[in-house]
Amino acid sequence: MAGARLGAGAAGAVAEVGRPPLELAAHRRPRLRARQVAENIGWYLILSLIALITIFPFLWIVMTSLKGPQDLLFSTPPQLFPAHPSLAAYSTVLAALPIPKFFLNSIVASSLTTVFNVLVSALAAYPLAKMRFRFREPIFYLLLATLIVPIQLTFIPSYLLARFFGYYDSLPAIIWPSLASAFNIFLMRQAFRGVPDELIDAARVDGAGDWRIWWQIAVPLVRPTIATVAIFTFVTSWNDFLWPSLMLPTTVNKTLPVGLAALQSYFSSDFRSIAAGVTMTVIPILIFFVALQRYFVRGLGGALKG
Amino acid sequence: MFRRFSATPYLFLAPALLLIAVFVVYPIGAVVFYSFTTWDIVRPPVLTGFSNYTALVSDPTFWKALTHSIIYLIVTPTIIALSVVLAIVVNRKLRGINIFRALYFVPAVSGSIAIGIAWRFLFERTGFINSLLETLGIIQTPIQWLSNPNTILPIAMLLTIWAGVGYYSVIFVAGLQNIPEELYDAALIDGCNNLQKHWHVSLPGIRPQIVFVAVISSLAALKVFDEIYVLTGRTGGVLDSATTIVFYLWQQAFVNERAGYAAAIAIVLLALTLAFSILNVRFLERGQERP
Repeated sequence: MAGARLGAGAAGAVAEVGRPPLELAAHRRPRLRARQVAENIGWYLILSLIALITIFPFLWIVMTSLKGPQDLLFSTPPQLFPAHPSLAAYSTVLAALPIPKFFLNSIVASSLTTVFNVLVSALAAYPLAKMRFRFREPIFYLLLATLIVPIQLTFIPSYLLARFFGYYDSLPAIIWPSLASAFNIFLMRQAFRGVPDELIDAARVDGAGDWRIWWQIAVPLVRPTIATVAIFTFVTSWNDFLWPSLMLPTTVNKTLPVGLAALQSYFSSDFRSIAAGVTMTVIPILIFFVALQRYFVRGLGGALKG
Repeated sequence: MFRRFSATPYLFLAPALLLIAVFVVYPIGAVVFYSFTTWDIVRPPVLTGFSNYTALVSDPTFWKALTHSIIYLIVTPTIIALSVVLAIVVNRKLRGINIFRALYFVPAVSGSIAIGIAWRFLFERTGFINSLLETLGIIQTPIQWLSNPNTILPIAMLLTIWAGVGYYSVIFVAGLQNIPEELYDAALIDGCNNLQKHWHVSLPGIRPQIVFVAVISSLAALKVFDEIYVLTGRTGGVLDSATTIVFYLWQQAFVNERAGYAAAIAIVLLALTLAFSILNVRFLERGQERP
């Protein structure tokens, strides 16, 4: 993946070098600039329109959650901004459902899943990339094959496993099954392949064993990939719904998405409260995303190469 | 190259292999077994041979679910077309372009349940869409978008597309940025206009990304559940009008407690995914000519 990013940087450099010759024709500049400004305004209009389509449902939810009892939910023309804003819906939701507990559950489950998933993947990926051993190819293809299996297929037996291990209706029920991900192993393997063999050999000459080489040489070198894998694992785990909904029947044990679905049936037609619940749960993950945005973009872009 | 046997690589692999054995390989075997039984999860399963499969063949709801899942695949080409266009639009140097890119990504990180509820708010009988259409004079009485068998599945698909375009376009932007600028200049010199240059340079240049997104998004479409669950309020829609394969699997296993029957549905899902993956691999191999 390091190579992939270098590649993107090189392409950017080419882009910057490639531009100037066209603009060297100095006498055309003023007209070009006027046209450029008009074109840019056009692009901003298009970009804003797309942004409106993307964001509007959220905007509508937030505004609904702030509407007071006198504000109409349905009217012609539609009323976006509340005339009598109120936070009553938020206190209703917080009084009825343990939203902070849902948060805590989600944070604990997603963090533990992420830490151990990355650890397990980084361990498994290393020999697949850097060691020679007899069953390397069969094991790798077996892992790849599990990528095809729809996870929903496993739910019925996993349900029984949860009862067998005694972790039904508790967070381990959703952590354990998500600790190994063939996709993450695959991504990490690609990254480890970029670690120069000379470094590993040099470390071995200096007397380091395989575990030390893995931890002190290979892992630090693939940190960007680890960051990407960790963030995507975290968000996937945070938003996971179907399996947690099967495993966490008791209200105080629910994670946020499961709690949200419960909220929807709990307040069936109290739209203000449902909207308040959605707003409270979406905002933190958005802050998380904005803070780590560059990793998302780089991770998705790099997923194909490396 | 001769080497002595070393346990180290296997020790590195052990945690992952153990977890995959317990949570993926064993369940697959178990599901195959359960698909030949009648079973309600509570009492022990009773072997009944192929009865679940014969029942499936004559189950109209199953065929409906299968059809809906296949119809759902329309989201894939739509997502690809829209996200390629979006990628081309945002792949330019403009002040603040990163803010727009971030905004387009918001639905993808918000979680399917939250965005599903947000869409319910738009399409409820008393939602924004009806209000807007009435204001514009297009309709006189509110439309029951979510309980109308003709509209519920398209709305779910629209939701999947809406949430997916921003996400997948990031992959295409990365692909576009690897295309050398000279290729575009050459296309312009050869007399291409702006649209033609994207057709002749951009599209071939992001072919690997297109194949990748096709694979990922079609497999996701085959397994759609969350959108259906939220938009139909756990029912699958009036007359099962939005029931998909995974939704039906869930309904049979965990609502109707027919786990053996659900296991048979799971096997059909596996077969479908396998067939699809083989098709995709063929497609991928054809795309390999370009490095």
